[in-house]
Amino acid sequence: PKILNTRHQLPSLPLQILFYVNGVYYIFYFLATLAVIVYKSEVFSYPDDFLAPDLALLLIMAVLEVLRLYLGSKGNLTEDETPLGLSLALTVGSVILSVYFLAWQTYVLRAEVVLNAVLLFTYGLESVLKVVAIAAFVS
Amino acid sequence: PPETRAATPARTRSGPAPVTDVAKLCVCDLLVAQCDVNCCCDPDCSAADFSLFTTCSVPIVTGDNRLCSQKAAIYSLDVEANPPERIFKLIDQVNPSIFCIHATNYKQALYFNSPEMPTSENFDQLLKKFGSATFSAEPDSWNMNTDAQNPADTNETYRYEYGVPIQTVDAFLRLPSPVVSPWCSDANPAAFLVNQATKCSRSVSVEKCGSIQAVSMLFYINSSILAVNITVQSVVIQSLNGMRTSLNGSDVLRLPMILDELCINVVLGVSYHITYTDAGEIIEAAASFVLGAIKKEALSIQQSFEISFTQVNTKPVPLSGNPGYVVGLPVRAGFRPQGYPFPVEILFAALNTNKYGQFTILQSTSSQDCLAAQGARTPILFGYNMVSGCNLRITAAMKCQPLAQTLLDLLKGQSFPEYVASFGNSQAHDVLDWVPITHLHTSEQRIYNTFQSSCQIPVSLEIAVKWTKYGSLVNPQARIVNVTATITSTTLKQLPSGRERTIPITSSVVFTDVSSPAEPGYKAWPTINAKLPFDFFFPFV
Repeated sequence: PKILNTRHQLPSLPLQILFYVNGVYYIFYFLATLAVIVYKSEVFSYPDDFLAPDLALLLIMAVLEVLRLYLGSKGNLTEDETPLGLSLALTVGSVILSVYFLAWQTYVLRAEVVLNAVLLFTYGLESVLKVVAIAAFVS
Repeated sequence: PPETRAATPARTRSGPAPVTDVAKLCVCDLLVAQCDVNCCCDPDCSAADFSLFTTCSVPIVTGDNRLCSQKAAIYSLDVEANPPERIFKLIDQVNPSIFCIHATNYKQALYFNSPEMPTSENFDQLLKKFGSATFSAEPDSWNMNTDAQNPADTNETYRYEYGVPIQTVDAFLRLPSPVVSPWCSDANPAAFLVNQATKCSRSVSVEKCGSIQAVSMLFYINSSILAVNITVQSVVIQSLNGMRTSLNGSDVLRLPMILDELCINVVLGVSYHITYTDAGEIIEAAASFVLGAIKKEALSIQQSFEISFTQVNTKPVPLSGNPGYVVGLPVRAGFRPQGYPFPVEILFAALNTNKYGQFTILQSTSSQDCLAAQGARTPILFGYNMVSGCNLRITAAMKCQPLAQTLLDLLKGQSFPEYVASFGNSQAHDVLDWVPITHLHTSEQRIYNTFQSSCQIPVSLEIAVKWTKYGSLVNPQARIVNVTATITSTTLKQLPSGRERTIPITSSVVFTDVSSPAEPGYKAWPTINAKLPFDFFFPFV
C-alpha cells in the first residue's frame, strides 16, 4: 500500500502557522496603531495635513496585508509558486510601510516602535520561509 | 521698475533663534552680567559666589519630558565640602512610559513657532490672515449701525442733557472765558443748563477796531443754534465814564467803528438767555449786549459773559439745586397765601425774590450787643450748620413784654417764613413740595418751678433741618423733610435796681441727614419655567 510520502507533501507547515499568527497579530496591530494615532491626536499637536497621510497609509497597509496573507496562504496550500511570489512582492510593500510607521511617521511612540519591530520580525521570518517554499515548489 | 526692486532686496527678518541646548539654558539668570542669588546655572557666578548660596533655585533643566530620552542638566550644591561648591551634571534622562515620543518628524511639534516677521511684501497677506475686524482698515462695515441710530440732520431739534455743549451750525456756542491766563479764550463751549458767568481780558487797539471779530456784536449772534436764531434782546451803551444807557431800537446791529479817535460799539458784555422745554430742546435764544467805547491808549478791555437757562412757561426762580439742594446754596422758603386751598397762582416766595433773604438767622456782629444789632441777618445755606449770637444786657429798668417781643424779632427776623421748599427747584405752585416749619417752645426752667406767670424771654432759637437722600443710589438728591424751629425761653428775674445782667442770646441752624440706609433692590430670583409644550398630549387633547 502507498504510504503518504512526506517528501511529496510540499506545502510548508511552519509557513502556514506563521500566516495564521501573522493574521491574528495584524488585527491586534491595526487596532493598536489606530488607537495610538487617536491618542496622539488628542495629546499632541497633530494638524490635519499630517494626520491624513498617516491614517491613509495605515488603511493601505491593512488592505495590503489581507491580500498578501490570502495570496500567500493560497499559494502555499495549492503548491503554486505564482501567488506565493506575488505575496512575497507584496511583503516588500508591507515592510516599507512598517518601516514608515517605525521611523517616518509624524510621531513615533515607544509603543509603536515595539509593535512595528515585532511586525518586521514576522515579515522577515515569513519571507525566508516563502523563499524556501517557492524553491521547493519550483524544483 | 524691476531694477530698483532688485537693487533693494527685502530681507525677511526673523526673530532670534531659540536656545535648545540644556546646558546653556538658565531660567533664573535675570540680571545681566551679575550673579543672581541662589541661581546655580548662572554663568556670571564664580566659585566664590557659589559658596555663599544656600540652595539651588533651579535644580534641573530638561528638554521636553515627553521625549523618550532627553538631555538634562542637574545643578546641586555640595554642602559637605568646605567651601560649598556647585555640582553640574549633564545626563540623559529616560522616560519610562511606553507612550513617550521616540522620534518625531514634525518640527513644530515640540517648539514654539518663530512667527513670520512682517515686511512690506508680506504685510497685506499677514493682515488678511491674522487681522480681524479690529484691525480692519475699512470702518464702513461697523459704521452703518451707528448711522441707523442717529438719523438726525442739522435741521432737526436736538435734545440736550445737562452739561452737553450747545451745538450751533458750525461748532459750539462760545462763551469766552479766561483759561490759565486772564486773556479770553474763544474755545469754551456753553453747556446746557449750566449757568455760567465769566470775565476775561481781550487785547484791542483803536486802529484794528473794525477787524477784531471778538469785539463786534456780529461775532456773538452770527452762529445760530441749529434751528434757533439768536435774537438781540437789548443793547446797553456804556459811556467812557461808566454811565449806561439802554437803547430802544434793539434790532439794529451796531458794528464797531472809529469815531473821533474812539472805537465805539465795542462789545463789553454779552448775556445769553436760553429758553428750553422740559424735553431738552432749545426753542429760543436771546442775547443782551453792553457796548462801550475804547480810547486810543487802551490796550485791553475786560469783557464779561453770562449765560442763563429758563424753562419755557416758568418764571425764572433762582434755584438752589436741581432737584436736590446743593450744599452752599440758600434754603428757599416762603409763605402760604391767605385763602389757600383755593387754587391761587401766587408765588410762595413772592415776598422776597432775593434768594438770600428768604430764610435767615441772626448774624453776629462785632459789637456783640443784641440791642444794637441793627437787624443784620445772614442767609441759611443748605448743609452749613451755623451758630450765631449776641449778648443781651439786662438792666432793672427793662420791661418784660417789650423785651420778649424785641428778642423774638431779633431771633426770627422780620419775615420768618412758614414753609421751606423741600427740593432746590420746588415750584411755587407745587404745594406738596413745601414743608411747613414746626414751632416748638421750651423753657429752660425745671418743672418744679411751675409758676409760669413770671416773665419768659426767648434766649435761643434752634432751627433743626432734617434732610434725606432721595432718588437713585448713584446720584442721591438732598431733600428737606422736616424743619423745626425751637425757641427756648428763660425766666427773667426781676433785678434790683442798679444791677445789670448779661445773658447770651444764641441762634443756630443744624442740618441732619436722616436718610434711611439704602436698600438696593434686587431682581427676583429666576424661576424655572418648566411647562410641557402646548401640544404634548397631542392625540388625546
